[in-house]
Amino acid sequence: MALRIWASSTANALRLSSATRLHFSPLSRCFSSGNLHSYPSNSPSLCSFLKFRRQNRNLTYALVSIAVLDGLKYANSHEWVKHEGSVATIGITDHAQDHLGEVVFVELPDIGGSVTKANGFGAVESVKATSDVNSPISGEIVEVNTNLKETPGLINSSPYEAGWMIKVKPSNPSELEALMGPKEYTKFCEEEDGAH
Amino acid sequence: MIVASNSCLSCLIPPWTIRSNSGQISTSRRASASQITITESNSLVQQTNKRRCKCYDMYKEAVPFAEAWAWQKSIVEERKSLIDRNEDDLDTLIVLQHQPVYTLGTASSENNLNFDIKDPPLPIYQTERGGEVTYHGPGQLLLYPIMNLRFQKMDLHWYLRALEEVVIRVLFSTFSLKASRVEGLTGVWVGDKKLAAIGIRVSKWLTYHGLALNVSTDLSPFSGIIPCGIKDLGVGSIKELLRGSSRPSSTSSDHDDGDGKLIDIAHESLLKEFCEVFQLELCHQSVSILRYPDK
Repeated sequence: MALRIWASSTANALRLSSATRLHFSPLSRCFSSGNLHSYPSNSPSLCSFLKFRRQNRNLTYALVSIAVLDGLKYANSHEWVKHEGSVATIGITDHAQDHLGEVVFVELPDIGGSVTKANGFGAVESVKATSDVNSPISGEIVEVNTNLKETPGLINSSPYEAGWMIKVKPSNPSELEALMGPKEYTKFCEEEDGAH
Repeated sequence: MIVASNSCLSCLIPPWTIRSNSGQISTSRRASASQITITESNSLVQQTNKRRCKCYDMYKEAVPFAEAWAWQKSIVEERKSLIDRNEDDLDTLIVLQHQPVYTLGTASSENNLNFDIKDPPLPIYQTERGGEVTYHGPGQLLLYPIMNLRFQKMDLHWYLRALEEVVIRVLFSTFSLKASRVEGLTGVWVGDKKLAAIGIRVSKWLTYHGLALNVSTDLSPFSGIIPCGIKDLGVGSIKELLRGSSRPSSTSSDHDDGDGKLIDIAHESLLKEFCEVFQLELCHQSVSILRYPDK
């Protein structure tokens, strides 16, 4: 509990303007790589939150910073949406990829198909578990990220940029309003992590 | 997207200690008519008001893979509707053996097949579970838990470790075999032999597919594949280990009545440890419900 209070007050004190990796040396051991990603200095400002992530089965922990970008909307199933003009780009969040671990396979739908809010459109595999990815909005799929077939790890290294999954023409733009903003999503993640 | 929720505190306590019905670690004392004392010690777990789990137990039958797969998918669809209406409250477990078959996971590579996929020596299925290619056949016990992780712990890593824990406990408590996990390789190992393979699919926190434990399996079909994509390590069975690894792998000609007894013992232990790890009480259902759903 003391560690959680410390982490929480540290998070407040260290409100970050870019994603960084923090090391908590007394605890961190076998710090796994593959989760570092940096955002260009002209990217939209972002908030983030700190959490402990278990490193290995010996129960050592490292303090990591999870990025939540401004300008995006978020679903409670941990997907993000970026609405630009007539197209919305969808992917999974930094929080999601951090929990999954190394993504080894991404299943994507065909262009021309449709997605429905809260229903699965694809899947990601990690740790012998394949998980559905749900669409935060409904619409027609106009593009899929074919790079993910050869390089599924883009979801880990760049969840909000190179790791985007599909682009959709929204059929019901009001669905975007019902999604969470970055602050709400940050709070949602902190509460979800705290509850389990 | 299903994610794992890591909690600093709850991860420090092995999840197979006491859980209340809500799935939260409970350290409180409850007073109720059927008095149950819940403590923080593993060894003092008494009967609790455990969450119930429907069990379709066909452990002596070799069910065609396609049939069992269809049952799972049908149950999953039904449970997803219940979840959407906030009415889901019973998990499901299917226990069975399979007729000989190879199955692939979502990312499975044809490089792990020692045959042409267009001309397989056995039926082969591309499934939606995670993990690489594996073999299922008589003598291998399968557990297909269809679990709503909201009732347990919304953490895929924890769930996989818990499935491994079930098998590790079975092997030790019933067969005195010391099994272990290998970091980065999901499954259960005795020495350098893999005895149990695990691969799951998760949708809206509902898991399906599950684990396969080699009890008296004929291991020769494993030579047709690189099991689970792991080249350097082998596959074993409880029977082979109990007899001594100096004997060749069991073939169908080695089958004897002892195999049936071994399956019975392993089955009983699997159900017991499954209930213990997940804190469930099994409610056995007639398998005709699966076979004849319209009746």
